[in-house]
Amino acid sequence: MTIQDPVCGMEIEPQSAFAKREHMGQTFYFCSQSCVDQFDKDPHSYMMTSATTGFNPERTLTRIELPVSGMPLKEHSTHLESALRALEGVSEIKVNETAGRLEVQYDAQKVDVARLVSAVKSTGFQVGGTNIKIGIENLRCASCVKFIEDELKSTAGVLSATVNIATQEATVDYLPQKTTLAQLNAAIEEWGYKPRAATSDAPVDKQEEAHAHEYRKLMNKFWFAAAVSVIVMVTAYYQFIPVLRDLSMDSLRLLWGFTALLTLPVMAWSGSDFFTGAWSAFKHRSANMNTLITLGTGAAWLYSTFAILFPSIFPEGTSEPFYDVVSVVIALVVLGQALELRAKGQSSSAIKKLLGLQAKTARVIRDGKDMDLPIEEVLVGDVIQVRPGEKVPVDGVIVEGSSAVDESMLTGESMPASKKMGDEVIGATINKTGAFKFRTTKVGKDTALAQIVKMVQDAQNSKAPIARLADTVSGYFVPVVMILAVWTFVIWFAIGPQPQLIYALVTSVTVLIIACPCALGLATPMSLMVGIGKGAEHGILIRSGEALQTARGIQIVVLDKTGTITKGKPELTDVVISEQSSVDSDQLLKLAASVEKVSEHPLAQAIVDGAQAKKLEFVEVKDFNAIPGHGVSAKVEGKSILIGNLKLMNRENIALGSLEEQSKSLADDGKTPMFIALDGKAAGIIAVADTVKEDSAEAIKVLQDMGIEVVMITGDNRRTAEAIARKVGVTRVLAEVLPEDKANNIHLLQAEGKKVAMVGDGINDAPALAQADVGLAIGTGTDVAIEASDITLIKGSLKGVVTAIEVSRATMNNIYQNLVGAFFYNALGVPIAMGLLFPFFGILLSPMIAGAAMAFSSVTVVGNANRLRGFKPKFSAK
Amino acid sequence: MSIPQIFVILSGILLTILIAWYFWFAPKAQTRAAVSESGAQEVAITVKGGYTPDVIVVKAGRPVRLTFTRQESSACSEKVLFPDFNQNANLPEGEQVTLEFTPDKAGEYGFQCQMGMLRGKLIVE
Repeated sequence: MTIQDPVCGMEIEPQSAFAKREHMGQTFYFCSQSCVDQFDKDPHSYMMTSATTGFNPERTLTRIELPVSGMPLKEHSTHLESALRALEGVSEIKVNETAGRLEVQYDAQKVDVARLVSAVKSTGFQVGGTNIKIGIENLRCASCVKFIEDELKSTAGVLSATVNIATQEATVDYLPQKTTLAQLNAAIEEWGYKPRAATSDAPVDKQEEAHAHEYRKLMNKFWFAAAVSVIVMVTAYYQFIPVLRDLSMDSLRLLWGFTALLTLPVMAWSGSDFFTGAWSAFKHRSANMNTLITLGTGAAWLYSTFAILFPSIFPEGTSEPFYDVVSVVIALVVLGQALELRAKGQSSSAIKKLLGLQAKTARVIRDGKDMDLPIEEVLVGDVIQVRPGEKVPVDGVIVEGSSAVDESMLTGESMPASKKMGDEVIGATINKTGAFKFRTTKVGKDTALAQIVKMVQDAQNSKAPIARLADTVSGYFVPVVMILAVWTFVIWFAIGPQPQLIYALVTSVTVLIIACPCALGLATPMSLMVGIGKGAEHGILIRSGEALQTARGIQIVVLDKTGTITKGKPELTDVVISEQSSVDSDQLLKLAASVEKVSEHPLAQAIVDGAQAKKLEFVEVKDFNAIPGHGVSAKVEGKSILIGNLKLMNRENIALGSLEEQSKSLADDGKTPMFIALDGKAAGIIAVADTVKEDSAEAIKVLQDMGIEVVMITGDNRRTAEAIARKVGVTRVLAEVLPEDKANNIHLLQAEGKKVAMVGDGINDAPALAQADVGLAIGTGTDVAIEASDITLIKGSLKGVVTAIEVSRATMNNIYQNLVGAFFYNALGVPIAMGLLFPFFGILLSPMIAGAAMAFSSVTVVGNANRLRGFKPKFSAK
Repeated sequence: MSIPQIFVILSGILLTILIAWYFWFAPKAQTRAAVSESGAQEVAITVKGGYTPDVIVVKAGRPVRLTFTRQESSACSEKVLFPDFNQNANLPEGEQVTLEFTPDKAGEYGFQCQMGMLRGKLIVE
């Protein structure tokens, strides 16, 4: 076969071609060096032509694909087309509605991409393409911004470019078919600047960095406040300090004046967040923790300052300051925030583990050259080389070579999947045996792994219904505490012991400081974050806090049979030989498999696979004939063979003898028997069945031990269904249920007043999954099942159901502990601070103790949530 | 009962009324979303000790585009959540972060930071 050189059009033999190039999945052959050179200059202009004819007769026309978005294409496509047709030089427009792509053929000399894009935008659509951020080092002059922007915009394929001098980053929208990052970088270098990877593309690292920075800042604030606190404490408790206790009141007052000045920077710097936060909240007519701290410390400072400035207006013995309260409380609360931040960092480790699955670099082949690129620079359409033992960097389709790929981390399938040309590969999976090249289809945030990470993050930030209670409470909490503080003051002042003013002030300040809305607010989100992360670590993707909360109370688990309890794929189970058979069982299987190899029946594949597993050789088949509803007939090795059901055997008047009895017992076991006759005599039975997954029975047993009723639902006949149910220990079977009735059956179970979970393989069970209180999809983490279900079990095993419920129970228990702890803390702390115990036991809290309690109550909540990190499921993940 | 005590009691009553009125009963200022060329309802929100504006009025059935800019480093406000729309975003300090979704049903929906210290309200008409 000859093919055409795409440049000159000459007919050449592929084997004897001068050179060969691959571009975007097409292979081109060339007759000479000059043709190759010409091709290399602009390989893309030779695309869009048939790979077999090779020659492009209309070379002056350029074709471009623009991804468009923003509006439904279906309704507005005519509008879009007419806007483009109005441009001179546009010759052909194709709108692919489902893919959201627009194909335009245009004369590059008359119109350019920028004008096409603006025409598209004028109709209200947005033009997609790739968006990339490029960091620019040492970008200082504002005027260069425009030069770089213009340079980028004039690069072919760039749709828009903006340079931000503040972040030192260029944001470029471009069509990856038309340009590469290297070209964009070159445009920046043109103006003497050095491009680098943008920092804002690694959200997790960035957040970590921000946290580390914030932690250092808080600790500095703490140490400063703590140092001042020591000095202030010494002067506050002068009675116990040797030199100070001998000072006169006037010199003490001078010393206090000095500490008043010292506490000012503590408030202005260490406690600045409280004061500015309180003010912002006040402007919004809301109040929060900052308000309480500000009021407490502010009141203490103002009172103290008045007391030392105008001692005469205060009753005897009440003119002593409380600067110690100000600095110590601020120091403690800041320390609490720092510790909380540190603990929070640990809670997000699950996401880091998931992201750790991703490869860091990819071996990209561009223009025939290999280059190792960081994964962020890989573009859609790149061809990537993967060698044995390497990770597949992003998602794509194999264009050359074949291999076995371990996808267990994303699909749960423990056997490596064999991949050949045209098969999809998924990023973060591990290439086992062979080398292959693949063309990328999804990069960056679109990869399956990135989607999973995004889903887990979203779920971690979602809300459990129980949190709404805490939310409602904390909405009223702070103003209520403020009112309580007011009345504490009033009551102590009106009926308290002398000195009333001191008692009134100290108790009301203590009330303001001890109350901790933070512990309430943190209780649910922290546990949820750890719990959902823990689930993800064990291959369980929980979509929301709501799903997590509902899963705890599940009373009935409904299991779909096919694909959930069973493998969902028929396997050869039995080969039975009749007494008068002329062949042995291996030979019977060999003949049957040879015939079934030709057949397209779904059960046929099971027989072929069974024969292959036994390493049997296939033989030639003649006169193959499929008899619909009955079976097949053919000739093999000179014998006429019939494979089919009882109807076929009856039609051909074949005496079955004891085989009929045996076939019944096979059917009772849930298997599908097929009779085989050789030369008109019954030779035996081959049975196939959808076999039960190895660990289904074990998982069901554990579910039942957890007090959960297990129900099986299937469209299969009752006999088969019950055979499977017996094997796995399920007693309640809903058989012969039409697919559309599955949801209804779930509804009936719910009508019994029970919380029902449905476990299915995602796609066909979607209505039932949606109807159930919790829908669990078994299957891969990469398909639409994620969308349909509340919980996705990445590892195909039913053990995941057990783990999901365990995670849910552990997390919800943790949340209850946190909430109860936080409620009790406030419900006990506030009355004690008000002095409720004083009349009986003479117990009063110092505001400093209150500050410590408040700071550590929220740390305790975070700490308790982190205890969840030690969660171990019954079935270990590995 | 002495005069200062009577004065303190009366002040207490007054303060209680003032606190309740200011935080609960006084009407809040509302910000209506501007409709951009593309038809989305756009609002820019500054995050600093609170959300400014914090009560946002939008129309149902039209996309809402909220651009948050966090101008503080306190870790408390690093996330913004719209639990009713299952939307959330990290807000790196100083960066503009846009959230886009379409509210279908009229009603009042809260938004907040992760632990609920900062709160705002989205009123869908």
